[in-house]
Amino acid sequence: MITFENVSKTYKSGSTALRDVSIDIDKGEFVFLVGPSGSGKTTFIRLLLREEDPDDGRIWVAGRDICHLSQWRIPYLRRNIGCVFQDFRLLPNKSVFENVAFALEVIGRPKHVIALQVPQVLDLVGLSKKHESLPGELSGGEQQRVAVARAFVNRPLVVLADEPTGNLDPATSQGIMRLLDRINRTGTTVVVATHDAGIVDQMRRRVIELDHGTLVRDQARGVYGMAPAGMAPEDQLQKGAH
Amino acid sequence: MPVSFDYVARETASNLWRNRLMTIAAVLTVGVSLSLVGASLLLRQGVAHATTQWAHGVDAIVWLNPNISTAQTAGVEHQVKQLPYVRSITYRSQAFDLNESKHLLTPPEYQVLTVETMPASLRIQLDNPSEALAIARQFDKFPGVKSVAVPTKTIHNIQTVSRILQLVFVVLAVILLLSASVLIINTIRLAIFARRREVSVMKLVGATNWFIRVPFMFEGVAQGLFGALFASLTVFSLHFLLDSFANIKTGNIWYQMRMPTGEVIITSLVVVLIGVVIGSFGSYLGIRRFLDA
Repeated sequence: MITFENVSKTYKSGSTALRDVSIDIDKGEFVFLVGPSGSGKTTFIRLLLREEDPDDGRIWVAGRDICHLSQWRIPYLRRNIGCVFQDFRLLPNKSVFENVAFALEVIGRPKHVIALQVPQVLDLVGLSKKHESLPGELSGGEQQRVAVARAFVNRPLVVLADEPTGNLDPATSQGIMRLLDRINRTGTTVVVATHDAGIVDQMRRRVIELDHGTLVRDQARGVYGMAPAGMAPEDQLQKGAH
Repeated sequence: MPVSFDYVARETASNLWRNRLMTIAAVLTVGVSLSLVGASLLLRQGVAHATTQWAHGVDAIVWLNPNISTAQTAGVEHQVKQLPYVRSITYRSQAFDLNESKHLLTPPEYQVLTVETMPASLRIQLDNPSEALAIARQFDKFPGVKSVAVPTKTIHNIQTVSRILQLVFVVLAVILLLSASVLIINTIRLAIFARRREVSVMKLVGATNWFIRVPFMFEGVAQGLFGALFASLTVFSLHFLLDSFANIKTGNIWYQMRMPTGEVIITSLVVVLIGVVIGSFGSYLGIRRFLDA
């Protein structure tokens, strides 16, 4: 579903964000992208959305080389990728329903599709009863659920979450992760960039660790920190194994 | 991808309303500048009507007797052509002159004219307009010639004043149109800034560039259009005001400058077109600088 092949990215300021990174993520996988601030997680996501172009290497999403996508096709790439952010990015003057509907409206979906899909996805995230509330009237966890609903309403192939639990307490974070897990079980590929050790350790999914732009670990059923001693050999470092 | 009319209308209206002070400023500037353009066009047409015989640089007119023979006409024409300072010469038939007189004379005057009594004429352009008097002297008593007319001082003055006024109007209008464009760019910029959250979400969820741009473009076009409608109203008011000065009995200058409403409508359409162009141009620049960056 997502393939990075020897991707490097250096910003104009001279800081290297990614250095020769190769990763393969299959359809339907659930992947944590971990590493300290400045390790290149956000650059990884920006490259997937074609908000940035890599200096070197190639990136495929759903079998398409996105680095050579013409400018006008980029919106269509983004329709296949739902995004969730730490700061929710909801529109404060629109209701929960309108926020989710907006994502469909601006890609030209007809009204009857919106009327059908928005209640479905609000039901999935457990906010059916609050569809008329404004984001300001909701808790942080509920706002993030709206953001997840907006990311998923168009049934994208991939859901990207950049520090989705960064502003939430541990209990609420677990709720969001359960939600992302449910979305993953519909067959959607989910990539979560985080430095929330708790959720990574608890969920035991594939972990990709970046450090100063270099891939240092790619581990199935991993934890946040370096693999503890005594772990089965097949779970150890798998860098470049694909 | 289709952009629904409903969506664009709603977004454009809300953009205009949020920025209403800037919108008013932009609309008024477009309106005033286009009023000047319109007034300049009206003046130009009015003067063209009043001085219709002397348009296209005609410096002298030889009026031929209504009963002149074809041979005599050819003779006069040949004689005129011999003069070294004559640049060109055009024959105008009796029917043409009769039609033209309707613009220049009051109804009681032109109603007594018929094609048979109307003189045909030769319109002469000279290398140097001051030679016109020489033509007059030479051909005034020529066989078959009724009289020779040269433009009066008044006509020269009208033409000169009109040229100067048009120049002033056009220069002012260009300056004002430039400031109108800058104002439109600025309102678009404010509108984009006010909606930066929406715009970033739109980009995120994969709205096409056109979908994001169209409401902002329409905002600029609407400002240009409203300004132009304001200017059209001014042009029409001016037309009716000048018409009310026209005195049919004395055939004063306002009477001679009068023009059919059809021409005024065309002038207004030109004004509206310029307004739309200015609006599109301003919003194009505003979007390019602040949305695509």
